[in-house]
Amino acid sequence: MRTLPEGISAVAPHKPGTMDLSPASRDPMRLPAPFSLISIVIMAALLLDLLPWDGVALITHPDFVLLALLYWAVHEPHTVGQGWGFALGLIMDVADSALLGQHAMVYVVAIFLAQLLRVRMLQLSVAEQALHIIAILAVSQGIGVLLNLAMGRDFPGFSILISLALGALLWPIINAFATIPRLRRRSSRVIS
Amino acid sequence: MSAFQEPFFTRGPSPLARLTFFTLIAIAIMIADHRFQALSFARMGIGAVLNPIEQALMVPGHAFSRSVAYFSDQDRLLSENRELNQKILALAAESQQSRLILAEKSYIDALGQAHPRFAGNGLIAEVIRDARNPYARKIIINKGMAHGVTAGLAVIASDGVVGQVTAVGVASSEVTLSTEKDQAVPVMVVRNGLRAIAVGSGRDGTIDVPSLPLGSDIQIGDQVVTSGIDGTYPPGLAVAVISQVEKNPAFPFARIMAQPVAAVAHQRFVKVMLKDPAQIYPRPDVGLDDKKPTRDITITSKSSAQNANAARRDQRRGTP
Repeated sequence: MRTLPEGISAVAPHKPGTMDLSPASRDPMRLPAPFSLISIVIMAALLLDLLPWDGVALITHPDFVLLALLYWAVHEPHTVGQGWGFALGLIMDVADSALLGQHAMVYVVAIFLAQLLRVRMLQLSVAEQALHIIAILAVSQGIGVLLNLAMGRDFPGFSILISLALGALLWPIINAFATIPRLRRRSSRVIS
Repeated sequence: MSAFQEPFFTRGPSPLARLTFFTLIAIAIMIADHRFQALSFARMGIGAVLNPIEQALMVPGHAFSRSVAYFSDQDRLLSENRELNQKILALAAESQQSRLILAEKSYIDALGQAHPRFAGNGLIAEVIRDARNPYARKIIINKGMAHGVTAGLAVIASDGVVGQVTAVGVASSEVTLSTEKDQAVPVMVVRNGLRAIAVGSGRDGTIDVPSLPLGSDIQIGDQVVTSGIDGTYPPGLAVAVISQVEKNPAFPFARIMAQPVAAVAHQRFVKVMLKDPAQIYPRPDVGLDDKKPTRDITITSKSSAQNANAARRDQRRGTP
């Protein structure tokens, strides 16, 4: 693998096998995400999480908000960071009637891991990214379980691991939803 | 709006520094919420925004289940009606009796100047949904601060105690079920008046009755009702039936398990027991500052001090 000099990547066409480790790295074939798109995706995820989940679905449904946050932490690191995770975590704590700060901590740790892995993840295919997402979700899930055990609650069972797999399956879908509106079209180049 | 405008170098604190910062704040918030219940206002504020959204999100599901239920409802309603009619007849005699007993009791209360601790009026609330938390046994009801609900009120259903209000929103509140781990209800055994504390076990909806010595008179099938001595739960509400008693001489306490009487997790409507502020059970007059009794005997002369000393000595010896 050879690396391009910093700064060139933004204008150079994307070649397979090239790697840019600068923090400003971005796929040049895509437009930067407008703030509206970022907030729409996160709002949609929040609405999905606010559905009246119950019973088995409650334990096994993936955390949509966390997935949306991870996507933007990987793709728009200058806009979405740990602060977003903290704020949305507090909202989810209220929504799930959990201890305040519990989701906040889990989300912040997950986004930190995404920030560590993002340059590596961007070089990989979406399926390979999903494997990284499983690892991140597993760590954050583990922290959540430990926090609850520390409060004297009981382990809800190993079916919570299903939510990790579902989260990984959702990763390509969330990719499609957030990426397709940003693909550079020929006509847009003419206009701008 | 182009890729070139974004900052070339990352600025601000490093991710690790941010992680440390946010984690510390999160831990501080968790401690403040868990130990001191200091953040109920923040919870209420966020909840006030979220609740209407949640309500709106439940509409499609409700509409679907209603349209499905429409066709099966006719039969169900008829049979339910028949059952209810029979129940009314069965209960009529008892209700007449209880009215008489209530009248007698209020007469006795007035005689003894006892405080009727609970306003008979409660607030009927509908259960909106279970809390979305796989670790906790909580339900959300549709009455909140706007209706006069406060944290700590008891919640009952037609057949017994359901739980206690633990967090209040503007128009909804959160009820922790009596089967939730460490959720305690002061109870007594109907048969002999033995007082105990029923604590949710957190396992498959059962209730533990810990800290009863081996010799205590308790049997399988005993009815357990609220004793009312905590001032939270009105006395006499059915809580559980003892289902298992294990007396092992190796341990100081018997291991007692009970099944809750009310189907705590499957209620549609519950009643929040409101407290009349004028009739709240009087608490002992002990403030935080009064923990140490102050010595209010001011020694004015030697003789009075000696008298006081002598009186104290007498008390110690047990002589009058």
